[in-house]
This record gives sequence, structure tokens and C-alpha cells, in this order.
Amino acid sequence: MQNVREVRTAAQANLEDVFFGQTVILWARWSVIVAGIVLVLWTSTTITHLTETVPFFLALMAMNFFLHGRYVMGSPLNRATVMVASFVDLVLITAIVALWPGSHGLDNQFFVLYFPVVLAFALVFTRRIEAAYTVIAMLAYVGACAFTGTVHPDLGNDDKVLVMRLIVIAAMGFLGNYYFRIQRDRLARASKGTSSGVEGLVAGLRPATAPARRR
Amino acid sequence: MTSEFRKPGGHLISPDGNWYWDGIEQQWKPASTPPVAAPTAVNRRAAGQPKSEPSNSLSSFVGSVRSDDLVFGQTVLVWARWILIGTGLLLSFWSPTDLLTLQIQLAAIIALAFGNFYLHVQLLRGHPAIDNVVYAASIGDLCVVTALVIVQTGYPSPVFIFYFAAVVGISVAFPTVLTAAYTAIVIGVYGIICFTTAPSDEFPAVFTRLLMIAAIAVCGNLFARNESHRRQDAIRIHHELQDEAAASPQLSPVNPA
Repeated sequence: MQNVREVRTAAQANLEDVFFGQTVILWARWSVIVAGIVLVLWTSTTITHLTETVPFFLALMAMNFFLHGRYVMGSPLNRATVMVASFVDLVLITAIVALWPGSHGLDNQFFVLYFPVVLAFALVFTRRIEAAYTVIAMLAYVGACAFTGTVHPDLGNDDKVLVMRLIVIAAMGFLGNYYFRIQRDRLARASKGTSSGVEGLVAGLRPATAPARRR
Repeated sequence: MTSEFRKPGGHLISPDGNWYWDGIEQQWKPASTPPVAAPTAVNRRAAGQPKSEPSNSLSSFVGSVRSDDLVFGQTVLVWARWILIGTGLLLSFWSPTDLLTLQIQLAAIIALAFGNFYLHVQLLRGHPAIDNVVYAASIGDLCVVTALVIVQTGYPSPVFIFYFAAVVGISVAFPTVLTAAYTAIVIGVYGIICFTTAPSDEFPAVFTRLLMIAAIAVCGNLFARNESHRRQDAIRIHHELQDEAAASPQLSPVNPA
């Protein structure tokens, strides 16, 4: 019994997290793509508008086909590539918020596209990387609102709405990563064959009848 | 198969009786280490139950045992609810518009805070709430958000974004069927509210909101299921290594992969 110990190194655990978590990012991106294409087809009023906006989503779709295909084939891309792809998501969503015809910045209702992307990222990467990504998403949204001149620092109702949305983006990151850490801890304990720390390691390897004998 | 909550010992006991839930440290601990209130008649009976398959002890934490997942997911739910309460309070006092809305907002938020305080205290004391209470509390969250949306004239209300925080907690804590049911209720109710209060040129925005709520639920639940399968595999590998080690006692320690 004492010959058995944790079979995964920390580096391997990180790689596994990216491998298994990648599917969540892929599905989050599919949801953004579907939403974007439906919106483009639904709201276009001219041929020019349609032909100028659809290519962005087709490019994103091609990228996600490639990533999803690699994942299904059992050879998902590495950590850096997944992060770059996630940043591309942020750029695209920020562009939608800032440049979408009709309503821009704070008045644009498509800020909700940030939520699944930030959540999926938080479920895959460690705390520091996730925190950086969430802060970048929040700054990107604030930047889009400021760039379009739809929000002014006067503590009025617009600022209230902006703060509310920023809090929920932050909450997506926090809650996702909190759950990620809980699950990682559970997996590490399961890999060691124990339910808790050092005491669990000893107790977990005891015969299951031990508690009955003790009492 | 579910975990049992036994009083007066009070701790959540794993299905095989070998583990109890320590709410302070948020960890499962072996029942052989006596918890504060563990040595009671009921817990002794639980620990003394005949065990046909000792190797099932760790396996009881994966697969179909959704109550254990609910225990871990419950902390996410509680924190999601605190975020909702804190943000709600902050925004209620930030340029309130009319008295009636403020009264309803504060009443709902304070009621939610009391409920969440109870659930959080239960967790800290190592007594996770029973499943039905957790399910009911989540319905309460959705009702509060829906009430606030309705009070603020439906579609234009900015508080709909709190549905997202609530759905995140639900998706990681609840089984897939329940997650789907809760999400369908949110999408149905909020969809009806929006389609009756929004002008037709805002329907694309309504569609986006509903689709993103569904996306959040899918992502959270997909992750939770993946993790459950990973734990199952890890435990299986661990048992295989244990068997190998038992079969050849002189075997050198297994190297990390």
C-alpha cells in the first residue's frame, strides 16, 4: 500500500486541465459564433453591412472548427494557443460592442457575449491567468464604452449600469475559477486515493472497516 | 444513491459511512478521525454497517453520487448569491428612482440575505443543507431576480444580468437534468417578459440574452461532468496501482507519469 503515491505531476495536471477544459472554451465560442451569425443575418439592412460583418464570424468559425477538430482527434492545441484564441474572442466581442451599427458602447446590448467566454476561461486556467483575463475583459468593455462616448464619469445612471455589468463579468471569472480550484483539489485527492490532506492519505488506505473497529 | 445527513451527529456522511464533511475546512475527512459531534449512536450505526465492497469507498464520491457534487457546488451557489446581494444593495442605494421600487428591492435583497446567511452558516458548521433546501433556495434566487426585472418594466431592466450569476451556480452544482430544467424555466419566464415588453427591433438583443444564459448553463454543467469523469478515472487508476502494489510487495514506488 505504501508504494502507491500521486501518479500525476503538477505540470501534467496543468496540461490535463487545459486538455479537458478546452471543450468548455470551444462550446462557449460556438455560442458566441451562433449568436453573432444570427444577429448579423437578422439585423442587416443592407448588402454592404452583411458582407462587411459576416466574414469576421466566418473567420472565427473556421478557427473554432480547426480547434474543435484537433480536440476531437485527441491532439488539442497547447496552452499558449488556447490563450491567444481566447484573446481573439475578447477582441471580437469588444469590436461588436464598440462598432455595431445602431447602438454603441454602453447602449449596445451584446455585452452579454463576454459572460460565457470569461466563465469558460476561468474554468480552465489557474487563478493569476484567469484574473488577468477577467481584468482585461473588464478594461476592454470600459474602453469600448469610453471610446464611443456613451459613459461619463458623473456617477449617474449610466455609471451605475456600467458598474453592474462589470461586477457580473468579474463574478463570472471569480465563480468559475473558484469552482475550478475546488474540482482540482478533489481530483488531486482522488488521484492520491484520499479524501483530504495527509491524514486522509493514511486513513484512505486503511481497510474500510476501520471506523467500526475503532468504536 | 445520496449522502446522508444524520442528526444529532449532524455531519454529512458519505454513502459508505467512511467519510464525513468538515464544513470549516471544506473537506471530506475519514470517519475514523472523530468529528466534534460524530460519536453518536446514529453515526456508530452508520460506521458499523457491513460493507460488501470496501473498494467502493472512494468511488462513492463520483459518478451517480450527485449529492456530494451538490455539497461542493453549494459553496459556489452561496458565493454567487452573496455577489447578487452585495451588488443589489450597492446599486439600490445608487441614485434610486422611486420609493416603491426601492422598497421592493430592499425587501427582496434582505430576505435573500437572511436565507443565504442560514445556508452559509450551515456550510461553515459542516452541516450542508439538505438537497431540497438548496433547490428551493435557487428557485428563490430566480424569483427575486424576476421580481426585480418585472418591477423595473421588464426588458429595459438592467438587473437581468444577475440571472447569469445564478445560472453559473446552478449549472456546476446540480445534475444535468435539473440544470436543464432550471435553465429552461429562466429562459421561458424571462423570454416571455422580454417579448411582451420589448419593441420588436430589440428582439435580436433578447435572443442574444437568452442564448447566452443557455450557453452559461451548458459550459458550467459540461465542466462539472468532465471533472466527475476525471475523478472516476483517477480513482480507478489508483485502485489498479493499489492492486499491483499488493500483488508484488517488493515493487519499487510508482514513479509519477
